[in-house]
Amino acid sequence: MLALIPNPFLDPFPAPESIASLLWVIVALPLAGAFLCGVLGKFMGRANTNFLACFTVFGSFCLSVCAVWAVGFQSAQFISPASAQPVKYALWLDVGRWFSAGDFSAHYGFYVDRLTAALLLVVTGVGFLIHLYSTEYMEHDEGYWRYFAYLNLFVAMMLTLIMADNLVLLFVGWEGVGLCSYLLIGFWYQDTEKAWAGRKAFITNRIGDFAFLIGMIFLVLLLQATEAMGRSGQARGNFMEAGRARAWLAAVHDQGPLNTEVLREWAYRMPVNMGQRTMGGVTLDSAITEGPLKGRTFGHVLTAALLLLLIGAAGKSAQIPLYVWLPDAMAGPTPVSALIHAATMVTAGVYLFCRLSFLLILSPTAMAWVAMIGALTAVWAALIAFAQDDIKKVLAYSTVSQLGFMFMGVGVGFFWAAALHLITHACFKACLFLGAGSVMHGNGEETDIRRLGGLRREMRWTWATFLIATLAITGIVPLSGFFSKDAILHGVHVTEIEGFPSVPHIVYGLGLFGALCTAFYMTRLYVLTFEGKRAADAKLPRAHESGFRMVSVLVVLAFLSVAGVLWGIPGLVPGPEGQKVALMEGYLTPSFQLADRYAKIYKTVVHEESSPLPGFVIAWAIAVVGGAAAWIVYRSWLPSRAGKPLPAFIAVPWRWARHKFYVDELYEFLFIRPFTAISNGLYKVLDAGLIDTVAVGGTAAVFRRVGGWLRYTQTGNAQSYATVMAVGLLVGIGAVLVWVHPW
Amino acid sequence: MQGISLQHYLVLAALLFSLGVFGVLVRRNALVVFMCVELMLNASNLTFLAFARDAGMDVGHLPALFVIAVAAAEASIGLAIVIAVFRSRGTVNVDDIRTMRL
Amino acid sequence: MTILFYLFAIVTVVAAAGVITARSAIYSAMSLVLTFFCLAGIYVLLLAHTIAVLQVLVYAGAIMVLFLFVIMLLSLGEPAGPGKVTFGRVVGGLSALGLFAALVIATKPFVSLGGEPPPRFGTLQSIGVQLYTQWLAPFEAVSLLLLVAMVGAVVVAKSRV
Repeated sequence: MLALIPNPFLDPFPAPESIASLLWVIVALPLAGAFLCGVLGKFMGRANTNFLACFTVFGSFCLSVCAVWAVGFQSAQFISPASAQPVKYALWLDVGRWFSAGDFSAHYGFYVDRLTAALLLVVTGVGFLIHLYSTEYMEHDEGYWRYFAYLNLFVAMMLTLIMADNLVLLFVGWEGVGLCSYLLIGFWYQDTEKAWAGRKAFITNRIGDFAFLIGMIFLVLLLQATEAMGRSGQARGNFMEAGRARAWLAAVHDQGPLNTEVLREWAYRMPVNMGQRTMGGVTLDSAITEGPLKGRTFGHVLTAALLLLLIGAAGKSAQIPLYVWLPDAMAGPTPVSALIHAATMVTAGVYLFCRLSFLLILSPTAMAWVAMIGALTAVWAALIAFAQDDIKKVLAYSTVSQLGFMFMGVGVGFFWAAALHLITHACFKACLFLGAGSVMHGNGEETDIRRLGGLRREMRWTWATFLIATLAITGIVPLSGFFSKDAILHGVHVTEIEGFPSVPHIVYGLGLFGALCTAFYMTRLYVLTFEGKRAADAKLPRAHESGFRMVSVLVVLAFLSVAGVLWGIPGLVPGPEGQKVALMEGYLTPSFQLADRYAKIYKTVVHEESSPLPGFVIAWAIAVVGGAAAWIVYRSWLPSRAGKPLPAFIAVPWRWARHKFYVDELYEFLFIRPFTAISNGLYKVLDAGLIDTVAVGGTAAVFRRVGGWLRYTQTGNAQSYATVMAVGLLVGIGAVLVWVHPW
Repeated sequence: MQGISLQHYLVLAALLFSLGVFGVLVRRNALVVFMCVELMLNASNLTFLAFARDAGMDVGHLPALFVIAVAAAEASIGLAIVIAVFRSRGTVNVDDIRTMRL
Repeated sequence: MTILFYLFAIVTVVAAAGVITARSAIYSAMSLVLTFFCLAGIYVLLLAHTIAVLQVLVYAGAIMVLFLFVIMLLSLGEPAGPGKVTFGRVVGGLSALGLFAALVIATKPFVSLGGEPPPRFGTLQSIGVQLYTQWLAPFEAVSLLLLVAMVGAVVVAKSRV
């Protein structure tokens, strides 16, 4: 292990690729921090635990900066095990084989390309800021050591997820963040409701995880079938380049079929349709002839696998139909909501699809589904957010809605835009959540916005940062949210998905409507919380501003929300085809190279070239209209109608939206109640009845009965014993007579 | 000897044996039970002797001799026990002597 | 011979019945003595002279005297009331009946009574010769048994001093 740490005295200026050997430290630091905080936190005291937890994440942040710096150079490259070709702008550290079972094996390795690097900065940077914020937010809590242990563990797991070089390790991080989410949501476990919220999150996640697992298995079978057909000669045409093909066939066994590079090479080998068919080879339309998937086509299995992965991502990233856990997750401490449910964990689904962009591009069906689910979720959650009165719930539904936007971006093949929105959203959503935490802290843990108001004058720093973040999320120029969201919308507008001509248009319409709703409910939230007079039934007469640690984090995040705009302004740097593109798009080009290439060759998605300007104007106009409408409604119209009931055409949908469109009740009715009934039935009939009463109790009862009867033979009376002997003798003699027949 | 076959003696012995078994299982007085045991022993003696006569080998009388000796020993010990039991319980009714009860 | 056999047999059976049905223990003992005497007669009919004599001497003479001693000593001769008819007793009676039936069935193949016995069959001389040569070990064992029985009887029956 020591050999992995480079000696600073021997290498005066470390070459970028040497950072690769240090990648494991990025995960190890928070992991060690979690262990130490958990085991020794109580003895170390509050100050020490705070310092240790923040220090480990800060250390990871510094190393992430080094990694980001490293992948900026072309010299940061390694020879891919799957193709024997150099992979540029990426670092790879293969720690070793983790396990293997028959033909399948999985390695433990870290892979950092530009996409991962960008996310590393987000996770460690925002993670560090939130650790800092938590030191003040949780200063009155007794379980601080547990909190920081879980938080560090979460960071470690998230880092494992984004740095994993194969899907198995990614799944480890996937489940790890789900576990930490459960632990942190139910942090105040003595309150039953909060504990149940944690349980709900975990179970909903689990459903997604199950689908993820099945999807992974499909991918494994797919690759193994391809390998078998390649070895047997049926797919000869796909394996023409001998050295490269040999490398791939070896890597499928050695690195394992779920290694990202191996999957990428597989996508490279599989042309989509007959038009590009190579001689003697197979395409996605041909049937599989080996293994358990015999008879089905490659394309169908791939689509099925991707749809299952979509369900998994929907569970983790809170999309329809598995979003129901996220609003309940607000039962946890606010910094947890900021970190996990705004900035990092919920983006895992988006990250997964960005990582597998080359697979997604091969299946227009899956892309259409991803885009549709994203759009529907964006609108659905936005409508629910209209009528929520809890400040954190509004932000939670806003997160679900923005994640829907990211899925829209992924679904139309604009991966860089989704990644950019992911990063900018992390900044301003964290700022919003932490601002909400500050508001709660200063108002006696009040979360109902109807009881707030007028905080503009009383909590100036919180007000300013919250305002900036709100403007960012609604998409007002020149803040970052504008460019990222509108890059997605523009991308949706110009895309055609093969086989689904109407989908992009529906998605675009829904996206615009979603942006309008976003502007409206966010402005509503801002107005009710900060503007106007203090509500009559507020808990405290005067709010107090939060301490330095919390405010400074808010300021940093607000600054990042503004500064993020730099990465989104189009037309700054040269892109892959020489035209001028946004900074982020250029930066992430190497990560999505294969996907872009495929998009062009196979035309599964087609991006027209057109100026984004008209789209920008429309989006900006929508944001302004939505914000203004909310301002008018909540500043003048509603106060002027104080006391009068709302008109029916508003009141009825309002009530529906407030009750989250009764989705939870629907799930309860459709799934939970039958399941509970079956479980109860099984318990009563099988477990308590059959096994406990009949088998276990029955056996005992039988023995007791028989013993009771046999007891009466022990009379103590010698004569009765003699009687028994005589009867036995009689039986014996009778037996002899019957068998021997002497007469 | 004509007319009296071995079977007659054996049936007589069986009858005596059955009467002895009946007495052992039915009578309440321990001494009477003992006597019925002696009856059974005698029945088996009779069987021995009948078969010896039938085979013409008088070595068959020796088991009968031993049975008589053993019966004597058993009777002495058994009666000593009856005396001891009578001393401690005051009765020889087998229904009242049930120490082996669970 | 036939008449003698039937005479002795009938008296034996009647006496045996008397043993098991007598109300008083003394009557049972006396019936048993009668049974022994008649049995001795049957033994003579079977040419088992030695055994017949020993039967009278030992069984009827020693053992029954011992029985009567104990009965008189413990004053157990009073007639007892009718016994309880319990399930065990009914089963016992029935099994005795069944036993008789089975034994009778078992004796079916034995019909004849052999031929002339060799000379000195059952005489004391013949018995003695075999007893002291071939069957010496069992003879000694039986004497040991009798010694043990004597000691045991003394130990069990003596009262604490």
